Amino acid sequence: MLPAPLVARLRSMVGVEGVIDRPEALLVYECDGYTLERAAPELVVLPRTPAEVASVLRLLAAEGIAFVPRGAGTGLSGGTLPVGAPVMICTSRLQRIEAIDVANRRVVAQAGVVNQWVSNAVRAHGLCYAPDPSSQPACTIGGNIAENSGGPHTLKYGVTTNHVLGVELALPSGELVALGGAVEDRPGYDLVGLVVGAEGTFGIVTRATLRLVRLPQAYRTFLAVFDSVEAASEAVSGIIGAGLVPAALEMMDQLIIQALEAAFHVGLPTDAQAVLLIELDGPLAGLDAQSERVEAVCRRNAAREVRVARDDVERAALWKCRKRAFGAIGRLAPNYCTQDGVVPRTRVPDILRAIAAAAARHRLRVANVFHAGDGNIHPILLFDERDRDEVARVLAAGREILEACVALGGSITGEHGIGVEKIDQVPLLFGPDDLRAMTRLRAVFDPQGRANPHKIFPDAKVCVETRAPRRQVAL
Amino acid sequence: MSAWAEIVGATHARPGGPEDAVDGLVPRWVVSPGSVAEVQACVRVAAGRLALVASGRGAHLDIGAPPRRLDVLLRLDRLARVLDHQAHDMTVTLEAGCPLSLVAETLAHAGQWLPLDPPRPATTTVGGLLAANLAGPLRASQGRARDLLIGIRVVGSDGCLVAGGGRVVKNVAGYDLPKLHVGALGTLGVIVEATFKVRPRPEREEAVIVACPTAAAAADAGLAILDAEVPPLWLVMAGPGELAEGPGCGAAAVVGLGGLVEEVAAGRELVREVASRRGLRTAVVADGAALRGRLAGFSVEPAAGVLRAATLPTRVGPVVEATVAAARDAGVDVRCLADLASGIVHVAVAEATAVAALLKVLRPALERDRGSLVLERGHGALKAEVDVWGDPGPGMELMRKLKATFDPSGTFAPGRFVGGL
Repeated sequence: MLPAPLVARLRSMVGVEGVIDRPEALLVYECDGYTLERAAPELVVLPRTPAEVASVLRLLAAEGIAFVPRGAGTGLSGGTLPVGAPVMICTSRLQRIEAIDVANRRVVAQAGVVNQWVSNAVRAHGLCYAPDPSSQPACTIGGNIAENSGGPHTLKYGVTTNHVLGVELALPSGELVALGGAVEDRPGYDLVGLVVGAEGTFGIVTRATLRLVRLPQAYRTFLAVFDSVEAASEAVSGIIGAGLVPAALEMMDQLIIQALEAAFHVGLPTDAQAVLLIELDGPLAGLDAQSERVEAVCRRNAAREVRVARDDVERAALWKCRKRAFGAIGRLAPNYCTQDGVVPRTRVPDILRAIAAAAARHRLRVANVFHAGDGNIHPILLFDERDRDEVARVLAAGREILEACVALGGSITGEHGIGVEKIDQVPLLFGPDDLRAMTRLRAVFDPQGRANPHKIFPDAKVCVETRAPRRQVAL
Repeated sequence: MSAWAEIVGATHARPGGPEDAVDGLVPRWVVSPGSVAEVQACVRVAAGRLALVASGRGAHLDIGAPPRRLDVLLRLDRLARVLDHQAHDMTVTLEAGCPLSLVAETLAHAGQWLPLDPPRPATTTVGGLLAANLAGPLRASQGRARDLLIGIRVVGSDGCLVAGGGRVVKNVAGYDLPKLHVGALGTLGVIVEATFKVRPRPEREEAVIVACPTAAAAADAGLAILDAEVPPLWLVMAGPGELAEGPGCGAAAVVGLGGLVEEVAAGRELVREVASRRGLRTAVVADGAALRGRLAGFSVEPAAGVLRAATLPTRVGPVVEATVAAARDAGVDVRCLADLASGIVHVAVAEATAVAALLKVLRPALERDRGSLVLERGHGALKAEVDVWGDPGPGMELMRKLKATFDPSGTFAPGRFVGGL
């Protein structure tokens, strides 16, 4: 129980409406997009400015209280689960885009700015913010930085860390420190690179300087239809092997195709085993030549049809399908759990076989929609939460799939983070010496371990209430 | 001596000589381990009592402040293998002593490249590339080492081998340990292995030189070209008299174009349009890669000192002008070459005596705008007299803690890095 005077002081800092402690209001905060584990914080604090974040942290530091940072709560690995941390600090009221420098392609955004808002704010200048997670209409820049988020277009444009030039970090001590900035190559260690992807364990990022990229002059968007997953996978390898770098190269399997068609009626071939959504972008010159190569590779790999989006409307329809794929899952089952493994891209057929085998072994249905060009798989395990045995089988199958990823030379997470979800699999990738280096790194920023405790590292794990989920967040 | 010979064999350990000096400091021993295990054993011997500087082939040892102390020069050039090139996965795993020319040759067989083009590719090793965070003109479109590095193995101060990242192109498992060592100048450990993502090499690369009367005009034309519909592969702004190929003797914007024949042709037309709107002449250089290689070598051409300023792209023109004016006041010749997209200006200074004056005049304004001015290369005696790095900014306290955490006894290149780290 937090002492009443502390709560009162927090209220005086951030305003009465910025402190939430009614149990029913706290329910919203008991999980993020990963719903299999839940824990409600005692208190949620919503500062209005970076300075308020720092003040709140100074107060917590004085009391030795642990905290968990949260943006929009769209994370998929339970990174915002308040375990052993009574106070949750939400950055969602830090909503200002503070500066736009069109000529130098920089923007300064506060942590609670929604990803999509950045691109919206600069589109008229022919610019955009490249990382585009599927949750981009909701997820925040602060959360993206914590998780080093990706998205479908990272194949060509890179992930969050490639686009963050500077951060202002509120250290757990309450000190605000500006790292990096609009100018590249500041001498010293790459502290910005360390903070990005640290899953909120170094403190709370309050604002960031982001790099913008030019909107491409033109797009070519294809839907290639295949009668087998293997053929589609071969086509992916063929495209990469031909020296082409599509902006996106996404695969969807039959179960997803059927769900999408039922939901959106865009004419997807429901009898196909797999489709590839391929997008090329860049200068108009050369785009048609590249398109011909892509089409040729698909046909050579037994694509029975290659559709080209004829205009922006058709392109938008195809992307709507991809980005809302998770939403369509509701038609297949009451609940689902998404995994986030990575394999070398040539091993996509192997991992898909391993996924199918795990599904069969555990009597589960699994749909696949993922970033094939990056080898970043997202098997979606379908279940009904009322069936406790099925929930247990989902968890077991998920573990086996991640183990298969590692066995194929890959990783247990490409863009969702470890959070609490994949803590048990971390030792598959890193040995004791590696993990010791990481925990020592953490202590540089957070010597008392009060920032987002019990995340990432296996020895930090504590028991959390695991229960069947009540709702699903579509991402 | 015998301790080193026991680890690496008698033929791979010897007393240091003048030719092994780092900024004038002669190491007591030069030791060349032949395996990662031998690197670990060497670090264990040094830990807590000796100072060690890791080196590949010594191509860039003139970067950084002079070491406070130097006992062992640890040469990694025997660890020079390409461990694994997965062409279809577009990844390559390399030993730290592997020279970039060998990497390039290996990848070329698959039509690929590691698009990092520092000076001296034949003697620049992977470890040096990472430790010194070296780059060339390609960074304008291809990013820096940090953007392409996906995995690393480093021997830490206790001799343990620590791995970070992995061999897949997308990976957020654990902290991003590779970032810890990029640009750290070997002050946090000895890099022994690295995995990069690689890219397809453009089918064609050419360059267009836009002749300009002044640096300001070149910067203006260059920024307009960066904004055009066909983004250049690289874009270098050369100060007066820098280019033998150049039409005229003024400054120039040199635009690298890469991609399919059609893309290059369209890019060429756009550059010509931008130039003709400004009444500027252009000349096409068919072998763009060769010209790029020569421009990449700018910072290692003979000079008493090479400064590196970092600023915003739109400030590159004014920074070059301020530099030329300051040099005139100091009565010294300077040559400038800038990466416009990245905001990096290299300044070659003809006389060592002028370097301190230039730093004093130029650094405060750059740092006020959160940029920087570093003495990138120079002789040890010169570097001993000036602040090589300048102010690393508000992160300094965290950097001190990082150093104290990962190298508590000051084994790795003590004094070489920012703030005396």
